Amino acid sequence: MRKFLALQIAALIVVSGALGGMFFASNAFEEVRTRIVLVLCLSCIKLEPKTVRNFTFATDNNAPHPSFILENLTKGPVFLHYSENVCAGCEVMFPIVKSLFHVEFGKKDIFWRTVPFNSTNITYIYVNLDNTTDMLENTFPLYDKDDIGGLPMFVVMTLGYDHGTVRPYYTTVYGTLNVPTDADRTALLTELLHESIELYNQNKAGYHPH
Amino acid sequence: MKFQLKRLYFQIILFFTANLGYPGLPGLKTGFCYPFFYCQACPAATSACPLRALEDSVYKQSFEWRFFAYPLLILGFFGVTTGRAVCAWACPIGFLQRGTSRVARKVKKHPFAQKLGKHKAEKYLRYTKYFVLIGLVILTSILIGFIFTDICPVGFLTGTIPILILNPGKFLPNYFFPVALIIFILFLVLIFIIERGWCRYFCPVGAILSPFNKISFLHIEVHEKGCTHCNMCSYVCPMGIDVPRMHRDPECILCGKCVNACPKNQITFERI
Repeated sequence: MRKFLALQIAALIVVSGALGGMFFASNAFEEVRTRIVLVLCLSCIKLEPKTVRNFTFATDNNAPHPSFILENLTKGPVFLHYSENVCAGCEVMFPIVKSLFHVEFGKKDIFWRTVPFNSTNITYIYVNLDNTTDMLENTFPLYDKDDIGGLPMFVVMTLGYDHGTVRPYYTTVYGTLNVPTDADRTALLTELLHESIELYNQNKAGYHPH
Repeated sequence: MKFQLKRLYFQIILFFTANLGYPGLPGLKTGFCYPFFYCQACPAATSACPLRALEDSVYKQSFEWRFFAYPLLILGFFGVTTGRAVCAWACPIGFLQRGTSRVARKVKKHPFAQKLGKHKAEKYLRYTKYFVLIGLVILTSILIGFIFTDICPVGFLTGTIPILILNPGKFLPNYFFPVALIIFILFLVLIFIIERGWCRYFCPVGAILSPFNKISFLHIEVHEKGCTHCNMCSYVCPMGIDVPRMHRDPECILCGKCVNACPKNQITFERI
Protein backbone atom coordinates (compact mmCIF):
# COMPACT_ATOMS: atom_id res chain seq x y z
CA MET A 1 0.00 0.00 0.00
CA ARG A 2 2.79 2.39 0.93
CA LYS A 3 4.75 1.46 -2.16
CA PHE A 4 1.71 2.18 -4.30
CA LEU A 5 1.18 5.54 -2.64
CA ALA A 6 4.83 6.37 -3.21
CA LEU A 7 4.38 5.45 -6.88
CA GLN A 8 1.32 7.71 -7.15
CA ILE A 9 3.12 10.62 -5.51
CA ALA A 10 6.19 10.11 -7.69
CA ALA A 11 4.02 10.07 -10.83
CA LEU A 12 2.27 13.25 -9.73
CA ILE A 13 5.56 15.01 -8.98
CA VAL A 14 7.09 13.97 -12.32
CA VAL A 15 4.05 14.96 -14.39
CA SER A 16 3.27 18.24 -12.64
CA GLY A 17 6.97 19.16 -12.43
CA ALA A 18 7.49 18.53 -16.14
CA LEU A 19 4.29 20.38 -17.04
CA GLY A 20 5.16 23.33 -14.81
CA GLY A 21 8.63 23.35 -16.33
CA MET A 22 7.15 23.45 -19.82
CA PHE A 23 4.95 26.41 -18.91
CA PHE A 24 7.79 28.41 -17.41
CA ALA A 25 10.87 27.32 -19.35
CA SER A 26 9.53 26.73 -22.87
CA ASN A 27 7.29 28.62 -25.22
CA ALA A 28 4.97 25.62 -25.78
CA PHE A 29 1.96 27.55 -24.48
CA GLU A 30 2.50 30.44 -26.89
CA GLU A 31 3.34 28.14 -29.79
CA VAL A 32 0.18 26.08 -29.33
CA ARG A 33 -1.80 29.29 -29.15
CA THR A 34 -0.36 30.88 -32.29
CA ARG A 35 0.10 27.73 -34.36
CA ILE A 36 -3.04 25.76 -33.51
CA VAL A 37 -5.66 27.79 -31.65
CA LEU A 38 -5.49 31.08 -33.53
CA VAL A 39 -5.02 29.66 -37.02
CA LEU A 40 -7.78 27.74 -38.71
CA CYS A 41 -6.54 24.72 -40.66
CA LEU A 42 -9.00 24.66 -43.55
CA SER A 43 -8.49 20.98 -44.34
CA CYS A 44 -9.18 20.16 -40.68
CA ILE A 45 -12.63 21.76 -40.88
CA LYS A 46 -13.28 19.91 -44.14
CA LEU A 47 -14.39 23.21 -45.70
CA GLU A 48 -13.03 25.83 -48.06
CA PRO A 49 -14.04 29.47 -48.16
CA LYS A 50 -15.79 30.40 -51.40
CA THR A 51 -13.30 32.03 -53.73
CA VAL A 52 -14.27 35.71 -53.95
CA ARG A 53 -11.82 37.41 -56.27
CA ASN A 54 -12.79 41.05 -55.86
CA PHE A 55 -9.96 43.49 -55.08
CA THR A 56 -10.19 45.86 -52.12
CA PHE A 57 -8.31 48.76 -50.51
CA ALA A 58 -9.48 47.93 -46.98
CA THR A 59 -7.09 46.16 -44.67
CA ASP A 60 -8.17 44.72 -41.31
CA ASN A 61 -9.31 47.69 -39.18
CA ASN A 62 -7.92 49.92 -41.96
CA ALA A 63 -4.44 49.37 -40.56
CA PRO A 64 -1.57 50.81 -42.65
CA HIS A 65 0.35 48.52 -44.98
CA PRO A 66 3.80 47.45 -43.77
CA SER A 67 6.63 49.45 -45.30
CA PHE A 68 8.21 46.40 -47.00
CA ILE A 69 4.97 45.86 -48.93
CA LEU A 70 4.84 49.50 -49.97
CA GLU A 71 8.50 49.37 -51.08
CA ASN A 72 8.06 46.16 -53.05
CA LEU A 73 5.05 47.62 -54.83
CA THR A 74 7.40 50.06 -56.57
CA LYS A 75 8.84 47.05 -58.48
CA GLY A 76 5.56 45.36 -59.38
CA PRO A 77 2.69 43.39 -57.84
CA VAL A 78 3.33 41.42 -54.65
CA PHE A 79 2.20 37.85 -54.07
CA LEU A 80 1.98 36.67 -50.46
CA HIS A 81 1.73 32.94 -49.87
CA TYR A 82 0.70 31.92 -46.32
CA SER A 83 1.16 28.35 -45.16
CA GLU A 84 1.89 26.21 -42.10
CA ASN A 85 3.72 22.96 -41.37
CA VAL A 86 0.75 20.64 -40.85
CA CYS A 87 -2.08 21.33 -43.28
CA ALA A 88 -3.30 19.18 -46.17
CA GLY A 89 -4.46 22.18 -48.23
CA CYS A 90 -1.02 23.79 -47.87
CA GLU A 91 0.58 20.57 -49.17
CA VAL A 92 -1.66 20.68 -52.25
CA MET A 93 -0.89 24.32 -53.02
CA PHE A 94 2.83 24.37 -52.24
CA PRO A 95 4.09 22.72 -55.47
CA ILE A 96 1.56 24.64 -57.59
CA VAL A 97 2.77 28.02 -56.40
CA LYS A 98 6.43 26.99 -56.64
CA SER A 99 6.05 25.93 -60.26
CA LEU A 100 4.00 29.03 -61.09
CA PHE A 101 6.87 31.31 -60.05
CA HIS A 102 9.69 28.86 -60.90
CA VAL A 103 11.14 29.05 -57.41
CA GLU A 104 12.62 26.33 -55.24
CA PHE A 105 12.69 26.31 -51.44
CA GLY A 106 11.70 24.20 -48.43
CA LYS A 107 8.33 24.22 -46.70
CA LYS A 108 9.84 25.59 -43.49
CA ASP A 109 12.03 28.24 -45.12
CA ILE A 110 11.62 31.98 -44.96
CA PHE A 111 11.69 32.88 -48.63
CA TRP A 112 11.07 35.86 -50.89
CA ARG A 113 12.22 36.72 -54.39
CA THR A 114 11.42 39.09 -57.21
CA VAL A 115 10.47 36.88 -60.15
CA PRO A 116 9.69 37.76 -63.76
CA PHE A 117 6.13 36.91 -64.70
CA ASN A 118 4.78 37.88 -68.12
CA SER A 119 7.57 40.46 -68.51
CA THR A 120 6.60 42.11 -65.20
CA ASN A 121 8.45 41.75 -61.90
CA ILE A 122 6.41 40.17 -59.15
CA THR A 123 7.65 39.97 -55.58
CA TYR A 124 6.86 36.54 -54.23
CA ILE A 125 6.87 36.25 -50.42
CA TYR A 126 6.43 32.90 -48.70
CA VAL A 127 5.19 33.02 -45.11
CA ASN A 128 5.07 29.78 -43.15
CA LEU A 129 3.33 30.96 -39.99
CA ASP A 130 5.10 28.27 -37.94
CA ASN A 131 8.57 29.47 -39.02
CA THR A 132 8.60 33.14 -39.78
CA THR A 133 9.43 36.59 -38.47
CA ASP A 134 6.99 38.72 -36.47
CA MET A 135 6.97 41.27 -39.26
CA LEU A 136 5.70 38.74 -41.81
CA GLU A 137 3.38 37.01 -39.34
CA ASN A 138 1.67 40.31 -38.55
CA THR A 139 0.59 40.68 -42.18
CA PHE A 140 -1.61 37.57 -41.93
CA PRO A 141 -4.62 39.13 -40.15
CA LEU A 142 -4.04 42.38 -42.05
CA TYR A 143 -4.83 40.81 -45.43
CA ASP A 144 -7.37 38.23 -44.27
CA LYS A 145 -10.00 39.91 -46.44
CA ASP A 146 -12.95 37.64 -45.61
CA ASP A 147 -12.06 37.15 -41.90
CA ILE A 148 -11.43 33.46 -42.36
CA GLY A 149 -8.25 33.15 -40.32
CA GLY A 150 -7.45 29.99 -42.24
CA LEU A 151 -4.64 28.44 -44.22
CA PRO A 152 -3.49 28.22 -46.95
CA MET A 153 -4.08 31.83 -47.94
CA PHE A 154 -2.85 33.80 -50.95
CA VAL A 155 -2.77 37.57 -51.33
CA VAL A 156 -2.30 39.27 -54.68
CA MET A 157 -1.32 42.88 -54.11
CA THR A 158 -1.36 45.50 -56.84
CA LEU A 159 -2.22 49.21 -57.24
CA GLY A 160 -5.62 50.81 -57.57
CA TYR A 161 -6.98 54.31 -58.06
CA ASP A 162 -8.98 55.53 -55.08
CA HIS A 163 -10.48 59.05 -54.93
CA GLY A 164 -7.55 60.78 -56.55
CA THR A 165 -4.72 58.67 -55.11
CA VAL A 166 -3.06 55.44 -56.12
CA ARG A 167 -3.05 52.97 -53.23
CA PRO A 168 -2.28 49.30 -52.60
CA TYR A 169 -5.17 47.22 -53.87
CA TYR A 170 -5.41 43.53 -53.07
CA THR A 171 -7.44 40.38 -53.15
CA THR A 172 -7.19 37.25 -51.01
CA VAL A 173 -8.05 33.69 -51.95
CA TYR A 174 -8.06 30.71 -49.61
CA GLY A 175 -7.60 26.98 -49.44
CA THR A 176 -7.33 24.99 -52.64
CA LEU A 177 -9.36 27.66 -54.45
CA ASN A 178 -12.60 25.63 -54.87
CA VAL A 179 -11.46 24.08 -58.12
CA PRO A 180 -10.90 20.36 -58.63
CA THR A 181 -7.53 20.02 -60.34
CA ASP A 182 -4.03 21.42 -60.05
CA ALA A 183 -4.32 22.78 -63.60
CA ASP A 184 -7.44 24.72 -62.59
CA ARG A 185 -5.67 26.10 -59.54
CA THR A 186 -2.72 27.22 -61.64
CA ALA A 187 -5.08 28.80 -64.17
CA LEU A 188 -6.99 30.67 -61.47
CA LEU A 189 -3.83 32.07 -59.88
CA THR A 190 -2.43 32.98 -63.30
CA GLU A 191 -5.64 34.82 -64.13
CA LEU A 192 -5.45 36.75 -60.86
CA LEU A 193 -1.83 37.65 -61.54
CA HIS A 194 -2.67 38.88 -65.05
CA GLU A 195 -5.44 41.03 -63.60
CA SER A 196 -3.06 42.44 -60.98
CA ILE A 197 -0.42 43.21 -63.62
CA GLU A 198 -2.99 45.04 -65.74
CA LEU A 199 -4.11 47.13 -62.76
CA TYR A 200 -0.50 47.75 -61.79
CA ASN A 201 0.42 49.01 -65.24
CA GLN A 202 -2.60 51.31 -65.30
CA ASN A 203 -1.74 52.92 -61.96
CA LYS A 204 2.02 52.68 -61.38
CA ALA A 205 2.71 56.19 -62.70
CA GLY A 206 0.80 57.73 -59.82
CA TYR A 207 2.21 55.54 -57.04
CA HIS A 208 4.32 56.97 -54.24
CA PRO A 209 5.15 54.47 -51.49
CA HIS A 210 5.26 57.00 -48.61
CA MET B 1 -28.35 17.75 -4.29
CA LYS B 2 -28.33 14.42 -6.09
CA PHE B 3 -24.89 13.30 -7.16
CA GLN B 4 -25.74 12.82 -10.85
CA LEU B 5 -27.38 16.22 -10.93
CA LYS B 6 -24.15 17.71 -9.59
CA ARG B 7 -22.29 15.96 -12.38
CA LEU B 8 -24.75 17.40 -14.91
CA TYR B 9 -24.17 20.95 -13.61
CA PHE B 10 -20.44 20.32 -13.70
CA GLN B 11 -20.67 19.19 -17.32
CA ILE B 12 -22.74 22.23 -18.29
CA ILE B 13 -20.33 24.64 -16.58
CA LEU B 14 -17.31 22.98 -18.20
CA PHE B 15 -18.99 23.00 -21.59
CA PHE B 16 -19.35 26.77 -21.36
CA THR B 17 -15.84 27.13 -19.94
CA ALA B 18 -14.46 25.22 -22.92
CA ASN B 19 -16.32 27.64 -25.19
CA LEU B 20 -15.24 31.05 -23.96
CA GLY B 21 -13.27 31.75 -27.11
CA TYR B 22 -15.95 33.23 -29.33
CA PRO B 23 -14.62 36.58 -30.60
CA GLY B 24 -15.71 39.29 -28.20
CA LEU B 25 -17.70 36.93 -25.95
CA PRO B 26 -15.14 37.04 -24.29
CA GLY B 27 -12.76 35.81 -26.97
CA LEU B 28 -10.43 33.91 -24.67
CA LYS B 29 -7.98 31.98 -26.88
CA THR B 30 -5.31 30.25 -24.83
CA GLY B 31 -2.37 27.96 -25.55
CA PHE B 32 -3.68 25.13 -23.37
CA CYS B 33 -4.65 21.74 -24.74
CA TYR B 34 -8.02 20.44 -23.63
CA PRO B 35 -7.69 17.37 -21.39
CA PHE B 36 -10.57 15.90 -23.42
CA PHE B 37 -11.70 15.63 -27.03
CA TYR B 38 -12.77 18.98 -28.45
CA CYS B 39 -11.83 20.76 -31.64
CA GLN B 40 -9.84 24.01 -31.69
CA ALA B 41 -11.63 24.80 -34.97
CA CYS B 42 -14.84 25.43 -33.03
CA PRO B 43 -15.38 29.20 -33.31
CA ALA B 44 -15.77 29.39 -29.52
CA ALA B 45 -12.91 27.05 -28.54
CA THR B 46 -10.49 28.35 -25.94
CA SER B 47 -7.80 25.70 -26.34
CA ALA B 48 -6.28 23.17 -28.71
CA CYS B 49 -7.25 19.57 -29.25
CA PRO B 50 -4.50 17.40 -27.72
CA LEU B 51 -4.57 15.14 -30.79
CA ARG B 52 -3.88 18.03 -33.16
CA ALA B 53 -0.80 18.94 -31.11
CA LEU B 54 0.38 15.32 -31.22
CA GLU B 55 -0.12 15.16 -34.99
CA ASP B 56 1.74 18.42 -35.38
CA SER B 57 4.68 17.08 -33.37
CA VAL B 58 5.33 14.03 -35.55
CA TYR B 59 4.06 15.16 -38.96
CA LYS B 60 6.05 13.58 -41.82
CA GLN B 61 8.88 12.30 -39.63
CA SER B 62 9.54 15.64 -38.02
CA PHE B 63 9.70 15.51 -34.26
CA GLU B 64 8.98 18.47 -32.05
CA TRP B 65 9.30 17.23 -28.51
CA ARG B 66 7.50 20.23 -27.02
CA PHE B 67 4.35 19.59 -29.05
CA PHE B 68 4.59 15.90 -28.27
CA ALA B 69 5.15 16.19 -24.53
CA TYR B 70 2.85 19.15 -23.86
CA PRO B 71 -0.56 17.51 -24.50
CA LEU B 72 0.58 14.24 -22.94
CA LEU B 73 1.66 16.04 -19.77
CA ILE B 74 -1.65 17.90 -19.53
CA LEU B 75 -3.55 14.64 -19.98
CA GLY B 76 -1.07 12.93 -17.64
CA PHE B 77 -1.71 15.47 -14.89
CA PHE B 78 -5.45 14.92 -15.03
CA GLY B 79 -4.90 11.19 -15.46
CA VAL B 80 -2.73 10.84 -12.36
CA THR B 81 -5.05 12.90 -10.19
CA THR B 82 -8.51 11.85 -11.41
CA GLY B 83 -7.98 8.99 -13.87
CA ARG B 84 -10.53 9.00 -16.66
CA ALA B 85 -12.96 11.20 -14.72
CA VAL B 86 -12.65 13.99 -17.30
CA CYS B 87 -14.56 11.73 -19.73
CA ALA B 88 -17.60 11.71 -17.45
CA TRP B 89 -17.28 15.12 -15.83
CA ALA B 90 -15.73 17.48 -18.35
CA CYS B 91 -15.72 16.16 -21.92
CA PRO B 92 -18.41 17.81 -24.09
CA ILE B 93 -18.60 14.65 -26.22
CA GLY B 94 -19.22 12.68 -23.04
CA PHE B 95 -21.91 15.22 -22.22
CA LEU B 96 -23.47 14.67 -25.64
CA GLN B 97 -23.42 10.91 -25.10
CA ARG B 98 -25.12 11.41 -21.78
CA GLY B 99 -27.94 12.94 -23.80
CA THR B 100 -28.10 10.03 -26.24
CA SER B 101 -27.81 7.37 -23.53
CA ARG B 102 -31.57 7.20 -22.96
CA VAL B 103 -32.05 5.89 -26.51
CA ALA B 104 -29.00 3.65 -26.23
CA ARG B 105 -30.32 2.08 -23.02
CA LYS B 106 -33.58 1.22 -24.76
CA VAL B 107 -31.65 -0.39 -27.62
CA LYS B 108 -29.60 -2.29 -25.05
CA LYS B 109 -32.74 -4.11 -23.86
CA HIS B 110 -33.24 -5.71 -27.27
CA PRO B 111 -32.28 -9.42 -27.16
CA PHE B 112 -29.99 -9.08 -30.18
CA ALA B 113 -28.12 -6.18 -28.56
CA GLN B 114 -27.79 -8.16 -25.35
CA LYS B 115 -26.38 -11.09 -27.24
CA LEU B 116 -23.89 -8.85 -29.00
CA GLY B 117 -22.95 -7.15 -25.74
CA LYS B 118 -22.13 -10.48 -24.16
CA HIS B 119 -20.10 -11.68 -27.15
CA LYS B 120 -16.52 -12.50 -26.23
CA ALA B 121 -15.23 -10.23 -29.01
CA GLU B 122 -16.73 -7.19 -27.29
CA LYS B 123 -13.91 -6.83 -24.79
CA TYR B 124 -11.34 -6.98 -27.61
CA LEU B 125 -13.24 -4.31 -29.56
CA ARG B 126 -12.38 -1.93 -26.75
CA TYR B 127 -8.76 -2.03 -27.90
CA THR B 128 -9.83 -0.28 -31.12
CA LYS B 129 -9.26 3.09 -29.49
CA TYR B 130 -5.58 2.27 -28.95
CA PHE B 131 -5.27 1.37 -32.63
CA VAL B 132 -6.99 4.63 -33.57
CA LEU B 133 -4.53 6.54 -31.37
CA ILE B 134 -1.38 4.79 -32.54
CA GLY B 135 -2.43 4.01 -36.10
CA LEU B 136 -4.54 6.93 -37.27
CA VAL B 137 -3.28 9.74 -35.07
CA ILE B 138 0.43 8.96 -34.73
CA LEU B 139 1.58 6.53 -37.45
CA THR B 140 -0.29 8.00 -40.40
CA SER B 141 0.97 11.46 -39.42
CA ILE B 142 4.52 10.15 -39.33
CA LEU B 143 4.44 7.97 -42.42
CA ILE B 144 2.07 9.53 -44.96
CA GLY B 145 1.31 12.95 -43.56
CA PHE B 146 -2.39 12.26 -43.33
CA ILE B 147 -3.90 13.59 -40.14
CA PHE B 148 -6.83 12.11 -38.23
CA THR B 149 -8.10 15.66 -37.67
CA ASP B 150 -9.07 15.83 -41.36
CA ILE B 151 -11.75 13.15 -40.95
CA CYS B 152 -12.44 13.45 -37.23
CA PRO B 153 -16.17 13.16 -36.37
CA VAL B 154 -15.73 15.27 -33.24
CA GLY B 155 -14.11 17.99 -35.35
CA PHE B 156 -17.03 17.70 -37.76
CA LEU B 157 -19.53 18.15 -34.94
CA THR B 158 -17.77 20.88 -32.99
CA GLY B 159 -15.85 22.64 -35.76
CA THR B 160 -17.37 22.14 -39.20
CA ILE B 161 -21.07 22.35 -38.28
CA PRO B 162 -20.82 25.52 -36.10
CA ILE B 163 -18.69 27.22 -38.79
CA LEU B 164 -21.29 26.38 -41.45
CA ILE B 165 -24.12 27.67 -39.24
CA LEU B 166 -22.33 30.89 -38.26
CA ASN B 167 -21.13 31.66 -41.80
CA PRO B 168 -23.98 30.74 -44.14
CA GLY B 169 -22.91 30.67 -47.77
CA LYS B 170 -19.29 31.49 -47.01
CA PHE B 171 -17.82 27.99 -47.15
CA LEU B 172 -17.92 25.02 -49.48
CA PRO B 173 -17.09 21.38 -48.70
CA ASN B 174 -13.54 20.27 -49.48
CA TYR B 175 -12.31 16.84 -50.57
CA PHE B 176 -12.28 15.45 -47.00
CA PHE B 177 -15.89 16.46 -46.41
CA PRO B 178 -17.71 13.40 -47.88
CA VAL B 179 -15.53 10.93 -45.95
CA ALA B 180 -15.82 12.98 -42.76
CA LEU B 181 -19.60 13.20 -43.22
CA ILE B 182 -19.92 9.40 -43.51
CA ILE B 183 -17.75 8.92 -40.40
CA PHE B 184 -19.82 11.53 -38.58
CA ILE B 185 -23.08 9.74 -39.46
CA LEU B 186 -21.59 6.46 -38.22
CA PHE B 187 -20.51 8.27 -35.05
CA LEU B 188 -24.08 9.49 -34.51
CA VAL B 189 -25.51 6.02 -35.12
CA LEU B 190 -22.95 4.56 -32.72
CA ILE B 191 -23.73 6.88 -29.83
CA PHE B 192 -27.46 6.30 -30.26
CA ILE B 193 -27.24 2.51 -30.30
CA ILE B 194 -24.43 1.90 -27.81
CA GLU B 195 -24.25 3.86 -24.59
CA ARG B 196 -20.96 5.79 -24.60
CA GLY B 197 -20.05 3.87 -27.77
CA TRP B 198 -17.47 6.47 -28.78
CA CYS B 199 -15.76 6.43 -25.36
CA ARG B 200 -15.79 2.62 -25.21
CA TYR B 201 -14.39 1.81 -28.61
CA PHE B 202 -12.91 4.73 -30.50
CA CYS B 203 -11.90 7.77 -28.44
CA PRO B 204 -8.12 8.27 -28.82
CA VAL B 205 -8.05 10.73 -25.91
CA GLY B 206 -9.72 8.08 -23.77
CA ALA B 207 -6.97 5.71 -24.91
CA ILE B 208 -4.36 8.08 -23.50
CA LEU B 209 -6.24 8.54 -20.22
CA SER B 210 -7.25 4.89 -19.67
CA PRO B 211 -3.92 3.54 -18.33
CA PHE B 212 -3.84 6.31 -15.71
CA ASN B 213 -6.82 4.67 -14.01
CA LYS B 214 -4.36 2.10 -12.71
CA ILE B 215 -2.48 4.68 -10.62
CA SER B 216 -4.84 7.62 -10.24
CA PHE B 217 -5.47 9.09 -6.80
CA LEU B 218 -9.22 9.30 -7.40
CA HIS B 219 -10.78 5.95 -8.21
CA ILE B 220 -13.79 3.77 -7.50
CA GLU B 221 -13.42 0.95 -5.02
CA VAL B 222 -15.70 -2.08 -4.80
CA HIS B 223 -15.73 -3.61 -1.32
CA GLU B 224 -16.12 -7.24 -2.30
CA LYS B 225 -16.84 -8.57 1.19
CA GLY B 226 -20.16 -6.80 1.43
CA CYS B 227 -21.10 -7.25 -2.23
CA THR B 228 -24.21 -9.36 -2.79
CA HIS B 229 -23.63 -9.55 -6.55
CA CYS B 230 -27.02 -8.06 -7.31
CA ASN B 231 -25.36 -6.53 -10.40
CA MET B 232 -27.27 -3.26 -10.13
CA CYS B 233 -23.93 -1.50 -10.58
CA SER B 234 -23.10 -3.31 -13.82
CA TYR B 235 -26.61 -2.67 -15.10
CA VAL B 236 -26.29 1.10 -14.72
CA CYS B 237 -22.65 1.36 -15.80
CA PRO B 238 -22.57 3.42 -19.05
CA MET B 239 -19.25 1.84 -20.03
CA GLY B 240 -20.58 -1.73 -19.73
CA ILE B 241 -18.06 -2.75 -17.07
CA ASP B 242 -18.53 -5.82 -14.89
CA VAL B 243 -18.32 -3.58 -11.83
CA PRO B 244 -18.16 -6.14 -8.96
CA ARG B 245 -15.05 -7.62 -10.55
CA MET B 246 -13.38 -4.39 -11.54
CA HIS B 247 -10.28 -3.12 -9.88
CA ARG B 248 -9.10 0.19 -11.25
CA ASP B 249 -10.56 -0.75 -14.62
CA PRO B 250 -9.08 1.33 -17.50
CA GLU B 251 -12.59 1.71 -18.90
CA CYS B 252 -14.05 3.30 -15.76
CA ILE B 253 -14.90 6.96 -16.29
CA LEU B 254 -15.75 7.60 -12.63
CA CYS B 255 -19.26 8.81 -13.37
CA GLY B 256 -20.39 7.43 -10.01
CA LYS B 257 -23.54 5.75 -11.29
CA CYS B 258 -22.50 2.47 -9.70
CA VAL B 259 -21.82 4.26 -6.41
CA ASN B 260 -25.36 5.63 -6.43
CA ALA B 261 -26.90 2.35 -7.57
CA CYS B 262 -25.36 0.02 -4.99
CA PRO B 263 -28.10 -0.88 -2.47
CA LYS B 264 -25.51 -1.95 0.11
CA ASN B 265 -23.25 1.10 -0.30
CA GLN B 266 -20.32 -1.16 -1.06
CA ILE B 267 -18.99 0.96 -3.90
CA THR B 268 -17.25 4.18 -2.99
CA PHE B 269 -15.07 6.91 -4.40
CA GLU B 270 -11.58 6.70 -2.92
CA ARG B 271 -9.02 9.47 -2.97
CA ILE B 272 -5.83 7.44 -2.55
